[in-house]
Amino acid sequence: MIVSKVVRGAVGVAVLLVVAEIAGRTGLMDTQIMPLASTVLAGAAGLAVDSEFLHDASATVEVWAEGLLVATLLAVPAGVLLGSLPKVEIGLRPLIEFLRPIPSIALIPLVTLIAAGDGAMKVTIVVYAACWPVLVNTMYGLHDVDPVARDTMRAFGFGRLAVLLRVALPSAAPFVLTGVRLAASVALVVAISAELLSGGAGGIGVYIIKAGSGYRIDLMLAATVWAGLIGLVVNALLVRAERGLFRWHAARAGVAQ
Amino acid sequence: MRLTGHRTVIGVIAALTLTACGGADTNTTATGNNGLEKTTLKVGILPIADVAALFIAQERGFFKAEGLTIKPEVVQSTTVAIPQLVSGATDITIGNYFTVISAQEAKAGNFRILADTYQAKPDTFDIVVKKDSPIQSVKDLKGKKVTIASLNSIGELAVASTLRANGLSPKDVHYVPVPFPQAPGKLASGQADAAWLNEPFLTGVQKDMGARKIADTMTGAMADFPIAGWTTTEPILSKYPKAMAAFQRAIVKAQQIAGSDRKAVEKVLPNYTQIKPEAASIITLGAYPSTLNPTRIQRVADLMLEYGYLKAKMDVTPLLVPMPQ
Repeated sequence: MIVSKVVRGAVGVAVLLVVAEIAGRTGLMDTQIMPLASTVLAGAAGLAVDSEFLHDASATVEVWAEGLLVATLLAVPAGVLLGSLPKVEIGLRPLIEFLRPIPSIALIPLVTLIAAGDGAMKVTIVVYAACWPVLVNTMYGLHDVDPVARDTMRAFGFGRLAVLLRVALPSAAPFVLTGVRLAASVALVVAISAELLSGGAGGIGVYIIKAGSGYRIDLMLAATVWAGLIGLVVNALLVRAERGLFRWHAARAGVAQ
Repeated sequence: MRLTGHRTVIGVIAALTLTACGGADTNTTATGNNGLEKTTLKVGILPIADVAALFIAQERGFFKAEGLTIKPEVVQSTTVAIPQLVSGATDITIGNYFTVISAQEAKAGNFRILADTYQAKPDTFDIVVKKDSPIQSVKDLKGKKVTIASLNSIGELAVASTLRANGLSPKDVHYVPVPFPQAPGKLASGQADAAWLNEPFLTGVQKDMGARKIADTMTGAMADFPIAGWTTTEPILSKYPKAMAAFQRAIVKAQQIAGSDRKAVEKVLPNYTQIKPEAASIITLGAYPSTLNPTRIQRVADLMLEYGYLKAKMDVTPLLVPMPQ
């Protein structure tokens, strides 16, 4: 089942690449603007052993991981608090709904002036973007707690904290992890965008700036391919973690796979 | 306040670490760190030929001899580099004079130029068109779309000056702001009729798509035009005067090499840019001045005033930091 899915996915990618290659070779697509798929892939393969690119890729992964970690540490407790205190949530909801759609990239000039350094600026921008999916999912997770289970605990004389720890949190956990998974993709997009917009000592976005300034569109695209691959791997790992940790939840929610 | 304290702590730790690591070296080189207030400088660079001297100085140990460690950080453009400099994320940055002078007038900061780094030479900034374009001369640009790296920049000034020299007004063309890397694509796809480009794009588009040069913009009023200098701010300079002086001494030594030995520039280009080595040997390079001449830098401000990019006359002399003895 899983093998056949992977095979089908690979066929999809292969078809796209072949079409792109043919379009380039037949002159349908101008290779001055868009290099051949084979050129880009060869470039991407070369980057895997290019120490300069590996340094850049690790810089991006570092910003991504720090940002995601800080966002999770901030947003999960905040989500639990708001999710279990409905009156506070109602009070803060308009503020959250106002802040959430602000593109974190638009905050770069402001954060640049405040943050102590380039790394701190990027992590801040990533945290801002990544905390919303975690916060909102955590809040929804707490709303979704089975009322029968909660009331049963209450009826047996358990206090609020006990109900939170034994029923609400385990029940909300799958939602939290879904939030983290969504935030992981957002964080990668934002980390690379911040590098593209503001440069820095290293990063995939910085590599793309260098490739662009050197008139190397092939390398710009090759680095972009790696950005996509990293995102793909991160998402696959988190989906696997979700399935492994919360098998019971998937079964209860009737999710196939 | 807390941030400042934090930064100081980091600075002290960095200094201690450096002293510890550099122990063996400092014994042999009597200069040590010269009592510098700061030994690690973050320097904003662009991955283009303009900053070659910085990497020549790195490679030949000129900074090390002054007790400095240079951490280059790629900046996206001078416009983005200026807030980074003002916030203290970098200590020094490559700054194109047009943007620095504009920012000085707009009071975005109080800037100081430590050293000149790049100056135009013939064919360092040209206007090119596609091979089969009907545009034959600058006069044919009337009503056409011309890409420039950004609006309100040296690109606009350079194209305007060329238009005026050919009897046109800057209002006769439509400026399309496109970063240099994307401009060849705009030209190839017909979204722009002409492109104002520098190296390595000029050599690239002429070789790859047979693009045709219709004008060199660095002529007449813009001949030998100053392009960029190593820029810092007055607060940074008064906080770290010795470190800045050390930077000046090291960079000027390297500017002299870059200015007289093209091979030295070609050698370092692949270390910090993605310019292909074969392209590095054929692209047109500008000049690398080793003095910071007030008369020359004043030309930038005066031409900006003439074309309406400055509201009032600006004396640039206070911005230029004299070379330490």
